[in-house]
Amino acid sequence: MANDCLIEVSGVNRIFSVPGGEFQALKNINVKIMRSTLTILKGRSGSGKTTLMNIIGALDHPTSGTVLIDGRAVGKMSDKARENLRRKDMGFVFQAVSLIPTMNAFQNVEFSMRLAGIKAGRERDKRVEECLKLVGLGNRARHMPAEMSGGEQQRVAIARAIAHRPKLILADEPTAELDSAMAAQVTKLFQEMTRKEGITVLMTTHDVGLMGAGDMIIELESGEQVHGGENL
Amino acid sequence: MHRIMLQKLWHKKWMNLCLLLGCILLIATVVSFPLYQTAAYDRMLQDEFRSYVAEEGRWPAMNSFSIVSKKERSGETISRMEGLMGKIYGDLGVTEKETIFYYTLSGANIHSALNRKDAENISLRLGSLSGLGEHVKMLSGEMYSETGMTEDGCIEVVMTQSAMVSMKLLVGETLVFNDLRDAEGKEIRLYVKGVFDAVSERDDYWQVKPEDLSSSVLMDRELFRSMFTGEKAGKYTVSCRYYALFDYEDIKATQVEHLIQATDDLTERGAYSGTADKPAYRSILGEYAKKQERIRVTLMILQIPVLIMLGAFLFMISGQMYEMERNEISVIKSRGSSGAQIFRLYLYQCAVLTLAGGALGIPLGTVFSRILGAARSFLEFDSLKGLTLTFTREVWIYAAAAMLITLFIMTLPAMKHSRVTIVKLKQQKALKRKSWWEKIFLDFILLGISLYGYYSFHKNGSVLGESVLQGDSLDPLLYISSSLFIVGLGLLFLRLQPYLVQLIYMAGKRFWRPASYASFMENTKNGRKQQFIMLFLIITISLGMYHATVARTILQNSYNNAAYMQGADIMVQEVWYAVVDTGSFTGEYAEPDYSKYAAMDFAENYARVRIETSAYVQTKENGRQDVTVMGIHTRDFGNVTWVDYDLNGRHYYEYLNDLAVNPTGVLVSDNFRTKLGYQVGDKLTYALENTGTPVKGPGRSTEGKIVGFFSYWPGYAPFVTETNPDGTVTTRENMLVVTHYNTMKQTFGVKPYQVWIDLKESADSSDAYAWFQNSGIRLTKYVDKAAELKKTMEDPLLQGTNGVLTMGFLVTILLCAVGYLIYWIMSIRSREMMFGVLRACGMHKGELIHMLLNEQIFSGVFSVIAGIGIGKLASGMFVPILQRAYAATDQVLPMNLVVNASDMVRLYSVIAGVMFLCLVVLIILIFKLNVTKALKLGEE
Repeated sequence: MANDCLIEVSGVNRIFSVPGGEFQALKNINVKIMRSTLTILKGRSGSGKTTLMNIIGALDHPTSGTVLIDGRAVGKMSDKARENLRRKDMGFVFQAVSLIPTMNAFQNVEFSMRLAGIKAGRERDKRVEECLKLVGLGNRARHMPAEMSGGEQQRVAIARAIAHRPKLILADEPTAELDSAMAAQVTKLFQEMTRKEGITVLMTTHDVGLMGAGDMIIELESGEQVHGGENL
Repeated sequence: MHRIMLQKLWHKKWMNLCLLLGCILLIATVVSFPLYQTAAYDRMLQDEFRSYVAEEGRWPAMNSFSIVSKKERSGETISRMEGLMGKIYGDLGVTEKETIFYYTLSGANIHSALNRKDAENISLRLGSLSGLGEHVKMLSGEMYSETGMTEDGCIEVVMTQSAMVSMKLLVGETLVFNDLRDAEGKEIRLYVKGVFDAVSERDDYWQVKPEDLSSSVLMDRELFRSMFTGEKAGKYTVSCRYYALFDYEDIKATQVEHLIQATDDLTERGAYSGTADKPAYRSILGEYAKKQERIRVTLMILQIPVLIMLGAFLFMISGQMYEMERNEISVIKSRGSSGAQIFRLYLYQCAVLTLAGGALGIPLGTVFSRILGAARSFLEFDSLKGLTLTFTREVWIYAAAAMLITLFIMTLPAMKHSRVTIVKLKQQKALKRKSWWEKIFLDFILLGISLYGYYSFHKNGSVLGESVLQGDSLDPLLYISSSLFIVGLGLLFLRLQPYLVQLIYMAGKRFWRPASYASFMENTKNGRKQQFIMLFLIITISLGMYHATVARTILQNSYNNAAYMQGADIMVQEVWYAVVDTGSFTGEYAEPDYSKYAAMDFAENYARVRIETSAYVQTKENGRQDVTVMGIHTRDFGNVTWVDYDLNGRHYYEYLNDLAVNPTGVLVSDNFRTKLGYQVGDKLTYALENTGTPVKGPGRSTEGKIVGFFSYWPGYAPFVTETNPDGTVTTRENMLVVTHYNTMKQTFGVKPYQVWIDLKESADSSDAYAWFQNSGIRLTKYVDKAAELKKTMEDPLLQGTNGVLTMGFLVTILLCAVGYLIYWIMSIRSREMMFGVLRACGMHKGELIHMLLNEQIFSGVFSVIAGIGIGKLASGMFVPILQRAYAATDQVLPMNLVVNASDMVRLYSVIAGVMFLCLVVLIILIFKLNVTKALKLGEE
């Protein structure tokens, strides 16, 4: 069932020019990620996790190899098409606090829907509230990011990432700055997303305790795929 | 410590460069002030001297003394005076030009040795005039010889031609004094050796005029001294006059104080005060000193806002820098570094900047002062004129003061920060509040003060004008009021700006695209951070507008006034010769040939204008009213003069037509109606004052019918302001009767008139000057409108005002640009990560630029617009009051607010240029922003 596969990464290499030579961040990566699954990308820092995330998120180009998202080759898309892809079909959650500091929780979530071109109205407001409730912050919609804890902010970021109903959520070390209880809670949230919303989630982490939550685990070491690509 | 400091300097190099720029500008601005002033004062002083020479035709830089030595055996007085002449130049600190000794024996009778019948008993004065030989040419005979005596013991003397004629002496004749004997009792004999004439009568040597020597013969000075003064000579009475002439061209403004002091010591207080005449240069210097003080204070007041803004800029940048280093400072602090240590580090750092600023700022100051000297109007320059700059002691004092202040301002924020530990810092960061000025309603307070000032100055406008005429400088309170008004309104705008942005947001809530939405949010929540730079921008622009209007209004009004008072392009009056009828003056003159003026190829038109200032009108109540009577040829006069429609509310030619059709008509000034109650159609009897000379023929008074009233007439000042000896000012009304030239001629006889000339388009005043030089026409009056206007424009007060205001604007707009860029660069840097997030979420660069553009509009463009509005308002309110401070005593035209479109275009283009430049820099910055790199900021 080819349609079950949302992301297909084949033969991806990424080489950076660094002072005094080249650095190969990714070596021949081949990954298939199925729809509505939570995939965990694991590895030490510097193993190439973020580089792979950026390439899948159409933020960076591979030096060689192809990435197919929903059957379309990202490398062949125009800049505009890639931006549209990010706006409509993807949601991002970053390690550090990534909320827009001048907007409150509600506005932050709403903003991703604005970007996705969803018109203002009752529908949109309802969806924002729904997403905030989903992350357990229904009662804090009017709070500014500075008035919330790190975990709360990260949950708002997750709400923002799912609000416009993307096909894929890319979460880069979303739990790095959270305590373990909070990290578990966030990971559980991602798990729920895949079930309730049918969203595909790809998250990176080096927290071994969270691995159990993943439907699939990919492990990178020095840019090489040492484990994974198959369902557990 | 030094390595740390240098590292710190390098690490924050852009910030430090901005600080350095601020230092340089501040020091340069401060230094340019005394530099320019000294140069301008030197020029002004020389102008004063030159105009004295031009008007009086005399050498002003001279001290003269006279004593009489009566039968003094020792001749001590004379020796003392000669001693004084030897050291006077040193005492005054000036360069000797010419020292003249003039000695005469009291008149004595002589007889000719020839025993001529026609020259039996002549009374003459024997004298000596030092340096005579170098200034005369001999008409006959020779100059006295080296010894001054003939071989047979006669004193050789020379005389002027008029002396020879009036005393009927002959060259080669020997004269014997009747009762004057020499020291040994022998008779004194004179030998007439020659007749001389001055090489040039204009030579300043002729303090004793050749025509004053018509009963004198002159002998050698040394011989005179040995024969009639000194030890042996105890029986002569010698009158002595001493003239000490010095070069005024060498006198610098800085010497004036000493020169005044030394002169007063000499002529009023010292041992010689009884013998000294009051020197002409003393009043020139006195006038100059008064004027100089007025200019100095006025220009200083005008500079204050710029200096404050420079200080604020430095304070802001250094504060900003400490802000960036806050964490660093508090970490060091928490690890045990003492506050004093941290403070010392910053002090050294600032000292390096200040010294560098001084090294670059002082030379830049010379450039600034040249720009000051070249400003013709606001943002308008003449080619750089040769301003001779001298580094006086004052300049160095100013420079040192500027550097100290710079250092103080820059280290001030460090004092605050060196006390903050990391704990306090965290506490501070948690608090977000309204700006302090919003809480104390500073904007309303400032507006209140300034409006009170406006109101009271408005009410007491005439008092203000009067104090200015009495020599006061610009009232600082007035200028401060206008500045506070601008600051107050600027703050008020800042208070309202968020609501304004909110309003725009609400108005289009449904239509805003994500980028606009984000920028609205940014402005609503973060707008307060930019208040300082916005205020800076608003003040710069509104002060710029205000100053442009001030400069233009003052200049234009002075120019219009000068142009109006001059009447015509060129005004001349010939030397007229009186008709002398058998020895008595009849009051009639021989009219010079008028037709020769037709040959003036440079003139478009010309007209004769007769002006009698000593005239009166027999008023209705049988009183006398002093008036001026002007006689014109209506057609010719209309061709050479002009009065704007607005001034009289009626076309100028209508007046002339009314007069032309009525041979007995007169036009009179408006005060005949307002003061004396005359109406159109009334008869008016006017006459010339009795000047003590009988007028033959025509009657002395005549009657005219009033055909019109005017408020303004070419060259007519409705009011004359005079300064009394005690310094108070009185205003006198001037009344003018304009009549036909022919009527005046028939009534009052032929008397001198002026010729008013209208230049051709193609000609200028130099053509006119050349023509008159070659024509051989002797003139007693030559007024060149262009020269007068030039003089007005070059008035140091006007010129300096324009210079200071222009410089101020350029400096502040430069600071604005730098400050604005710093703010925005910092703002973008601090949001780099957020931009990365937005990019990741699918916003493209165009949208990010759009977002930043919006923010620019909310802060920059809004501030510019507010600045323009506030500037316009302030100009409209304060310029009419402020310009009174510049009104000259001869300001007669109503003063208008002048806004020149080209001034505004220049102002706007400077602002637009700066804004554009900032935008370009910002856009380049955004394009260089790397998204993935930005995202990584969040990783480690």
